[in-house]
Amino acid sequence: MRLQTASQVVNFAAEIEEKLAKFYEQLAKKNPEQREFFLSLAKEGRKYKLWIQRAYHEVVTDALETGFSFEGLDTDEGLIEENLSENRNLPDILDRALDTEKRIQNFYQSAAQKSKSFLADVPRTFERVARRREKRREKLKSIS
Amino acid sequence: MPILDEPIKEPLGLKNYIDGEWEESEGQLQDIVNPATGKTIAKAPSSTEQEVKEAVTAAKQAFPEWRRTPPLARCRCLFRLKELLEENFEQLSRVQTMEHGKTIDESRGETRRGIENVEVAAGIPSLMMGDNLEDIASGIDEQLIRQPLGVFSLIAPFNFPFMVPLWFAPYAVATGNCIIVKPSPRDPISQVKLAELVDEAGFPPGVWSLVHGEAGVATALLEHPGIEGACFVGSTPVAKKIYATCGQKGKRVIAQGGAKNFIVVMPDANLERTIPSLMTSFYGNTGQRCLSGANAVVVGDDSFYREFIQAFYDAASNIKIGYGLDEAIQMGPMQSEDGKERVLGYIEKGIKEGAKLLLDGRKIDMEEEFPETCFLSPTIFENVTGDMRVGREEIFGPVASIMRAKNLDEAIGMTRNSPFGNAASIFTSSGKLARKFRYETPCGNLGINIGIAAPMAFFPFSGMKDSFFGILHGQGKEAIRFFTESKVVIQRWW
Repeated sequence: MRLQTASQVVNFAAEIEEKLAKFYEQLAKKNPEQREFFLSLAKEGRKYKLWIQRAYHEVVTDALETGFSFEGLDTDEGLIEENLSENRNLPDILDRALDTEKRIQNFYQSAAQKSKSFLADVPRTFERVARRREKRREKLKSIS
Repeated sequence: MPILDEPIKEPLGLKNYIDGEWEESEGQLQDIVNPATGKTIAKAPSSTEQEVKEAVTAAKQAFPEWRRTPPLARCRCLFRLKELLEENFEQLSRVQTMEHGKTIDESRGETRRGIENVEVAAGIPSLMMGDNLEDIASGIDEQLIRQPLGVFSLIAPFNFPFMVPLWFAPYAVATGNCIIVKPSPRDPISQVKLAELVDEAGFPPGVWSLVHGEAGVATALLEHPGIEGACFVGSTPVAKKIYATCGQKGKRVIAQGGAKNFIVVMPDANLERTIPSLMTSFYGNTGQRCLSGANAVVVGDDSFYREFIQAFYDAASNIKIGYGLDEAIQMGPMQSEDGKERVLGYIEKGIKEGAKLLLDGRKIDMEEEFPETCFLSPTIFENVTGDMRVGREEIFGPVASIMRAKNLDEAIGMTRNSPFGNAASIFTSSGKLARKFRYETPCGNLGINIGIAAPMAFFPFSGMKDSFFGILHGQGKEAIRFFTESKVVIQRWW
């Protein structure tokens, strides 16, 4: 899918964060011993969603390149694979989660790169979320 | 892409908001049409002279108590309004897209800009403070007090149906004045939605009123002896007329007119960053913006020119046209069929005058099926000169006229020769050239590597020559001065 407008990119980011948060909530239910850990990932993802939405809503103005900044930002439709947590054992699920986090990190890095001409808040937020993703991957690796 | 949910499901019957009540008008109704879908979304009245009088009377009656309301209490109304605007941010934005045609990104930008003015005006306890100095002579002190004047009328344009009245209204009411807003008869719904939130925020009756109508209603407001001043944004001929009328009647006035904005591209410009800015500048809001780029003046040799024109062409021809509630859309329709006809007329004129039509916006390639009534695609003219009508008159649509200049002096000379002085921008990597441009270009709003030089709420929205008639401008501290009298008190006590 090719994303071109700020609105598309922000909504796409919100959607993936929400999907991933739900995935971690499911994992929390299925794995009581890691419940707090997975719930903290879900909570963190929703915080990222809020950061991105806030950055967009607070800097979007009629003067900005809102319609054109993301020209050529392609993204994988299956950034988050459906039924990520079904019919698999935990190590397998965590491997897939690590891959997903990596793909999402790449998406944010690309979005930050494509939105350089935007007011700095937007690419900065994408970069920040991408950096946090790296930390999340380290956390996931530590339990896998 | 799917269309976002439309907040207006059935045609609305619009009413006037007078003395804190929603009043049915006895005037004739006209259809308000969504320019993308062609569907009627509201019916708006053209108010009667009697209704205008009632609004002025109510505002005048509200004034004495409102001006005595402590500034902190007045600004609390603005804080409540700000919260309500945030809560209704998305709905307000979608309404703008439905009645104007702009993309949802553009509408959200407009909503944000409007809210920013409410935020700035909420600082009124500090902004409205006067000055004082002890001992201006032995034992004598002097102070300056700012006092509100009474009732102001705000006459709004169609191109920013939500934001433009907010360049003035929050400052007017924060300083203790009362206002009557006359929205554009083409897209008045946003102002109705705003007035609904004003009502919810708890402004006292008569402080903020809304009267629908066309030119006759504007004239009745301007000529009413109970109106202390007017703020207008629109075309230059009307701005001039309003300025003259207010001058004759001894009223304060801010009258913002048309524009023909030059964007100078120097050979050292970073084209990768410049082109997206130019797309927004020339084609954002479908070119219906007084800060839009109109003439792109390319400085440099043939090789740079060719590189520029190819990049500009590629970007413009890839702009997605369609209904602005589809998030993938980058340019919506013109606001009206008349507006489109006007642009088509200019395209014909440009061809006749000998400009080269590089990209023909009459060929419409839409993403989805919508009536073509108001749609246009981006147009590019090459070889445009300052004496062609497409190079000197305001087109107010998605048309870029590309010109060439040997050097920056020649480019600045072009801006001097224009009767307009609203905005101009330069794209360059040179601080020296940018400074020269800033110093010598006779325009009120300048951009340096900025495509749309739109002043933020705490700066005045400036303008020069035939783009502005008046002294003080809307927004920020100048608006505070416009809406207040300066009273000087010199005192000595024995």
